[in-house]
Amino acid sequence: MTALNAVTAPLLEARNVRVQFGGNVAVHDISLSARAGEIVGLIGPNGAGKTTLFNALSGFVRPAGGTVLYDGRDITRLTPQARARLGMARTFQVERPFEDLSVLENVMVASFLRHRGHKAEDLAYSVLERVGLSDRATQPAAELNLARRRRLELAKALALEPRLLFLDEVIAGLNPPAQAEMIVLIQQLADSGLAIIMVEHIMQVIMTLSNHVVCMAFGELLAEGDPKFVANHPDVIRAYLGEDDD
Amino acid sequence: MTAIAVKRPRALSFGNLWISAGIIAVLLLYPVFFGKAMNFGVSTVLFAGFAMAWNILGGWAGQTSLGHAALLGVGAYTMTLLAIPERGPAWLHSVGIGSGAAIAPWWGILAGMVLAVLLSLVWGSLTFRLQGSYFTLSSIAVALILRLVAINEDFTGGSQGLFMPDLPTFFGLDLFDRRVEYGLAVGFVVITLIVTHIIRRSRTGYALQAVREDEDGARALGIDPARMKLIAFAISAALTALGGGLYAIYLQAFEPHTLLELPLSVQIALMAIIGGRTSLQGPVIGAVVLAVFGEVFRNLFSSANLLIYGVLILVVTLFAPGGIMGLFSRRGRRLGTAR
Repeated sequence: MTALNAVTAPLLEARNVRVQFGGNVAVHDISLSARAGEIVGLIGPNGAGKTTLFNALSGFVRPAGGTVLYDGRDITRLTPQARARLGMARTFQVERPFEDLSVLENVMVASFLRHRGHKAEDLAYSVLERVGLSDRATQPAAELNLARRRRLELAKALALEPRLLFLDEVIAGLNPPAQAEMIVLIQQLADSGLAIIMVEHIMQVIMTLSNHVVCMAFGELLAEGDPKFVANHPDVIRAYLGEDDD
Repeated sequence: MTAIAVKRPRALSFGNLWISAGIIAVLLLYPVFFGKAMNFGVSTVLFAGFAMAWNILGGWAGQTSLGHAALLGVGAYTMTLLAIPERGPAWLHSVGIGSGAAIAPWWGILAGMVLAVLLSLVWGSLTFRLQGSYFTLSSIAVALILRLVAINEDFTGGSQGLFMPDLPTFFGLDLFDRRVEYGLAVGFVVITLIVTHIIRRSRTGYALQAVREDEDGARALGIDPARMKLIAFAISAALTALGGGLYAIYLQAFEPHTLLELPLSVQIALMAIIGGRTSLQGPVIGAVVLAVFGEVFRNLFSSANLLIYGVLILVVTLFAPGGIMGLFSRRGRRLGTAR
C-alpha cells in the first residue's frame, strides 16, 4: 500500500446500509465513510435513525441490506464483540456502566481485550487519567454523575485501543465547561489518528469538530458534505426548523 | 497536587485472602470441639462447597440455576456406579473397557466431573440463548429429566437408588470414617475458594461480571456473553460433581428422590443468595447459617424448616439484597473493589 493510499483509503465504509424493523424502514440506504484522523458528524432530528445506523455499523442490529467494510474487509455479519476485537469501539447514548464495579474495574474489562494482568490495569488507569477520571478510580460506577458517566463510557471505548470510535451523543446534556473539555479531548483523539464517527444534537459542536457531516431525517440522507454546506442546506434547515407555511 | 505522591489505586487482586484463611481455620477446628456432631459437620461443609460452586455461575455470571442437583447427581451416580463392580465396570467390561473390577472413587469422581462438564456445555449452549428467568426455568427442567432417567433406568438402581457396600482405602484412610470425610469436605471447600480467588483476579472474572451487569455493554467491549457463561457453567459443574462424589461417599446409600429433587437445588441456591452472591466467601457463610438454622428449627418444629427457609428468603431479599456478607461489605469483600 502506498503512502497516498494509506491516507485516502477509508477505514470504515458503509454502502447503502438499510435497516428494517418489520415493515418500518428505519435507515434507508445510507452510505458513509470515515478515514483515520477524520471526524464524521452524524446529525438529524429526533427519530432520524442515527442511533439505529450506529447500531448497524457496530453490529448490534443486522442490516437488511447493504455492506459495511472495515479496513477493506466485509464485516456486515460480524458480531459486536468480533468488531470490538478488530478495533471498533462505541459508546452508548444511554451510558451503561457496570454499576457493581469500580470505575477502574469498568475500564479494565475493556483493557483486558488486548492486555493481561498488570498491563491491563496500567492501561486502564492511564486512560482514566486521560479522560480526567483517575481521582474516581475506586468509586463504584453507580455513584458517578452524568458528566462522569459519559467520560467513563469514553474511557471504556478508548481502553479497547480502537482505530475507529463511534460516539453516540457524548456531549449533549453536559454543562458548558464539561462540553468544552470533551470537545478538546475528541479533537486530540482524532489528531492521534483515530477515525471518529459521532452523533450529536448540538450543531455548534458538530460545526467545530467535524471534517464531514452527514444529515439524516426519517431514515433518509438529507445532505452531506463539509459542515458549512450542510448547515446552510435548505432541506436541513427545513428539517430542523419545520416547514415554512407562508 | 500535594508534594506527597498520591498512591495509585489497585484493582487487580485475589480479594481478601484473610477471610478465606479464617474460614478454613474455623472449619478445621470444628471437629476438635464438636467431634460428636460429625454428620452435621460433613454435610454442612459439603453444602458450603456446593454453594461456592453454584455461585461461580449464579453470582459471577449472574445465571440463577435451580438445577444444580442434576450436576451433583451426575458426580454421585458416576462415582458410585464405577465403584460397584457388578453395575458399572461389568457393563464397561462388556463393551471392552477396563477389567470389570471396581474403579477407585477418585477416578470415579474424575469421570463424574468430566461428564458433568459435558452435560453443562450441552445444557448451557441450548439454554443460554434464553435470557433471565428463562434459564432458571430450563434448569429446573433439566434436573427433572435427569431425575426421571435415574428413577426409570435399571442401571441407576431405579427409585431405590444405589448402595456402596465398600470402598478401597484412600492412602490408608477409611473413606467411611466421618473424620476422613470431614477432611475431604474441607478440601473441597478449599478448592472452591481457591478457584474463586483465581477468578477474582483474572480477566475471566472481570468479563463474567461485565456479562452479569450488562450483556450488550460487555459485547461492545469484545466479550462474548454466551462463551463466558459456558465457561462459568463448566467450572461450576466440575466442582459440583466433585462435591457430589464426596456426598455419595458420605451418604453411602442414596435414592433419586432425595438426591435429584428440586429442594436440593433450591437449598444450594439459597445458601449462596442468603450468604451474598456478590461476595467472595458469602456462599460459605450462607451455607453454615442456613444449616445451623435448619438444624435448630428442625428439632423445634420438626418439618417446619421449609417455612423458616421461606421466611429467611423474604427477610434477605427485602432487607439485605446483598446477602449476609453484603451487610458487612466494605471495599475488598465484594467481588470487585467497589463498595
